[in-house]
Amino acid sequence: MFLKRILNTEIFLSQRVFSRANSSWDVVTGVCVERLPVVTPPLNEIQKKYKEFLWTVEVENSLKSDHELRHENDKKQAEILKRESAEVDLDAVSKITAQDFEDSATEEFAQFKFASIETEADKKGDKSTHDRCLQRHLILVTEQKLGSDVKNILPHGQWKEGETLRQTAERVLQEKCGPGLKVDFLSNAPCGFYKYKYPTAVEGKIGAKVFFYYANYKGGDVNFKAKSNWLTRKEMTEVLPDRYNKAIREFLIEETY
Amino acid sequence: MLHLSFLKQFTRLAIGSAKVQPLNSKNICTTAVLPFKISDQLWAEPMKKKKKMDPAIVKAREERRRKKIEKQIRRLEKNAKQLKPIDELEPPLHVLDNLNTRKRIPVVLSPAEVEARALLNKEWCRYKRQEYMANVAQVDRIMRAQKRALDQLYEVSEDLYNEAIMPDLQLIPYSIVGPYATPPIKNYDSPDGEYIDVSKKWGN
Repeated sequence: MFLKRILNTEIFLSQRVFSRANSSWDVVTGVCVERLPVVTPPLNEIQKKYKEFLWTVEVENSLKSDHELRHENDKKQAEILKRESAEVDLDAVSKITAQDFEDSATEEFAQFKFASIETEADKKGDKSTHDRCLQRHLILVTEQKLGSDVKNILPHGQWKEGETLRQTAERVLQEKCGPGLKVDFLSNAPCGFYKYKYPTAVEGKIGAKVFFYYANYKGGDVNFKAKSNWLTRKEMTEVLPDRYNKAIREFLIEETY
Repeated sequence: MLHLSFLKQFTRLAIGSAKVQPLNSKNICTTAVLPFKISDQLWAEPMKKKKKMDPAIVKAREERRRKKIEKQIRRLEKNAKQLKPIDELEPPLHVLDNLNTRKRIPVVLSPAEVEARALLNKEWCRYKRQEYMANVAQVDRIMRAQKRALDQLYEVSEDLYNEAIMPDLQLIPYSIVGPYATPPIKNYDSPDGEYIDVSKKWGN
């Protein structure tokens, strides 16, 4: 029994060493650059309802603010003035009431223009810039040549002898997207894996093992030569090959709206 | 050295005759040493006279210094027990003064309203639980994907695997900002408010 187990592990090890020695797979690194949402996602039905509920409870349990006291005081003053209209206290009349203050504040607020959630790129339907769909996660997808056909996939490149996979990832991203793009790699370890076979064996290799690295977008722009697109989750399912898309989705955060 | 002292000897001898002669007289001197005067070598600054102080004053001064240090120690000890107050946690005095006028008229809820609120709370609970479960499942899924990638990497090359599981020290400390409620306005020049530092100094 014991001997058998030892034998088994020996066989397993030797197999692995053997399979490593004449590996018939290319090692490829893919980089998944994600732009995180800039703006918080919209609240759904229950969230809106509960927020409103919490707000009413908050107001019910609160004490009156200085502003409210001032407002009440103003009202009292006005009544007194009405009753004793003969004797008008000039000081009290010329005073700015709480209501006036509130009105001017609302006016000022109305004049302030918030930036629109819908950007220029959204209006034009331009997918090549990261300044779009501010409430969603965006993934950088570039055109890549795979054998004879061109496909829309994540920027990827072959691993070279002597570098770690992380270094490969950094090099690949710079080669494909230009030095202008600034990203933060989040780990030395790959976050996803994908394997595919070449239609015909190339230089004795039957396929490629792709290791994905995850990075967050930090700044800068992608070189326009890369023909890159920033895609939402939904657009990814339309553009990317089906099995590839599934492999990437494995390690990405799912959007709930 | 020797040579100098030797000269000195002669000067001493010569002084007597020099004094007799008037100073302005042009003298043709037979003793070459006469115009030279060599002061004594001291090799140090002359000693200063020690000031004599009243022992009572010295004592008083010592006492004062000791008292000063003692006072400092006492203050430090007192401050050690006294915690720095958190102003935000204390209700402001002007609110406490007219607390009664600030109270709102208590809201009387209809039984239907109470029921609706309870139901909403329960629904919210259920929703949050669902959300939490989805989050946990999501984290599991992502970790599984990474585990699989690392396993596959181990099969490809152990060296690459060992490199991959090294901690990335550049990430520490990690900070992240956003997302915001509204998108940032491009080229917005934010108006600066007045900044008055009212923080108090504590300790010492």
